[in-house]
Amino acid sequence: MLELVDLNVSYGGVEALRNLSLKVEEGELVAILGANGAGKSTTLMTISGLVKPKSGQITFKGERLDSLKSHEVVQRGITQAPEGRRLFGPMTVEENLRLGAFTREGDSSETLAWVYDLFPRLKERRSQMAGTLSGGEQQMLAIGRALMAAPNLLLLDEPSLGLAPLLVKSIFRTIRDINKSGVTVILVEQNARAALKLADRGYVLDVGRMVLEDKAVNLLHNPLVIDAYLGSR
Amino acid sequence: MPDFEFFLQQLSNGLTRGSIYALIALGYTMVYGVMKLINFAHGELFALGAYLGYTLLVVFGLGGSLGPPLAIGLSIIMVVGLVSLAGYLLERVAYRPLRSSDRLAAVVSALGASIFLQNAIMLQWGAQYRAFGADLLPNVVFHIGGFNLPLVRVLVFVAAVAVMAALHVFVHRTRLGLAIRAAAIDQGAAKLMGVDVQKVIILVFIIGPALGGLAGLLVGVYYGQINFNMGQLYGLKAFTAAIVGGIGNITGAMVGGLLLGLLEALGEGYISVIWKDAITFLVLILILVFRPTGLLKERVAEKL
Ligand SMILES: Nc1ncnc2c1ncn2[C@@H]1O[C@H](COP(=O)(O)OP(=O)(O)O)[C@@H](O)[C@H]1O
Ligand SMILES: [Mg+2]
Repeated sequence: MLELVDLNVSYGGVEALRNLSLKVEEGELVAILGANGAGKSTTLMTISGLVKPKSGQITFKGERLDSLKSHEVVQRGITQAPEGRRLFGPMTVEENLRLGAFTREGDSSETLAWVYDLFPRLKERRSQMAGTLSGGEQQMLAIGRALMAAPNLLLLDEPSLGLAPLLVKSIFRTIRDINKSGVTVILVEQNARAALKLADRGYVLDVGRMVLEDKAVNLLHNPLVIDAYLGSR
Repeated sequence: MPDFEFFLQQLSNGLTRGSIYALIALGYTMVYGVMKLINFAHGELFALGAYLGYTLLVVFGLGGSLGPPLAIGLSIIMVVGLVSLAGYLLERVAYRPLRSSDRLAAVVSALGASIFLQNAIMLQWGAQYRAFGADLLPNVVFHIGGFNLPLVRVLVFVAAVAVMAALHVFVHRTRLGLAIRAAAIDQGAAKLMGVDVQKVIILVFIIGPALGGLAGLLVGVYYGQINFNMGQLYGLKAFTAAIVGGIGNITGAMVGGLLLGLLEALGEGYISVIWKDAITFLVLILILVFRPTGLLKERVAEKL
């Protein structure tokens, strides 16, 4: 469904991604792991079209993506809940969700009902300013907002960042439900263990290079991964 | 003149003047909101509106041939259309090519555009004052006790406020308005929502100048005369109004404009006319020093 081939990305003179290749099949939940600064967010931003690659190509359902503008990428059915959420704080929850559906022509009330069903808290707080929500609620809104476009591919950048363990569990459960409902998911996480338990496959990034790729269960038992990303627990 | 009537006189004068400042201030604040850039040529677009209005109403004599209401209505539509077009071209020529350059380049380009426009206006229309016909509107004055309220003062105020109310509805109730607010808060996040930010930039470079051009026409109708460098003083005052309300804040620009107009009118009434312009600059300096985010800071939640 999505394929990145030999992608090179740099910021000014600094290389962030080197010859990165990656493949995602329809319906999969794929995790991308890696330390801080490895290039995970850059990968997602390049897919979304906010960062332009220096070379390499991205194809989605057979169409070249790398020359498209960011709004055209959304129109093709790829949305992102970015790192740090980047909600529109001075707008209400519902306005944020309406922005998520910005590219849709027709009625999106069915999707809205689905999002409220996934995250009942958002419905309760729909007239509240997004900036006043708790961390967990903000993450729900970031994901809900990305779902409003009814995407085929959902990019999630560190959805567990800064959340209490109980909340992380519930967010991850919802991510699984979203995937089960037919949305392909790329999940970027520092919380490697939880992500691998959820994912079908995983990639490991290290300073801009893809160093490992395997089924999630194999990565969970790979000594290198255990050493570097799973800790001793 | 009895005290209270004098106060009402200055109050109504201040409100009308302030509503004009507010209209111009909206152009600064909307462009800044999305671009984080002061459009230094905005004052000149305002002046352009005044001169286009002059050409239509006085040179072409629409006022005489069509009758005041129709002539002014038609002029408003044409002035707003032409000045928006000028705003669109300004973005295209002076700003878009510099989008990826540093901010200083854009500021220099903006100043250059401002100088160019001001000189173009002078070459086209001359350096002397130009008079709008005094007979443009019937010279009706309402007498309420000792308080004299000219009809034109009421009409200019009502027109400005009606346009601002429409803008408020547009920004808060429509899909495009939502996109403008989103792009002002976080351009990158707006792009992730599928907003074409380039289109939003074009949109604010059409709406802002449209409001500025309308204000120029209203100044001509209200004060009866215009000058080629009027964009400088009005521009600076409207910029001050935008800063007072918190630059980037749409509601703030409206409130800031009205406040500044009132302050000026009361200052010139109770202190001295000589102080009128000095008050503006004093306000600008005080706000920049003590409250750089504007008076409505606690409502920056409303950021735009
Ligand atoms: N906007 C930017 N400008 C310059 N360098 C950046 C920018 N964003 C990220 N980088 C650099 O690119 C590298 C990869 O960053 P990032 O993709 O954010 O990593 P991760 O998400 O894995 O933590 C880092 O070295 C980071 O400092
Ligand atoms: Mg990151």
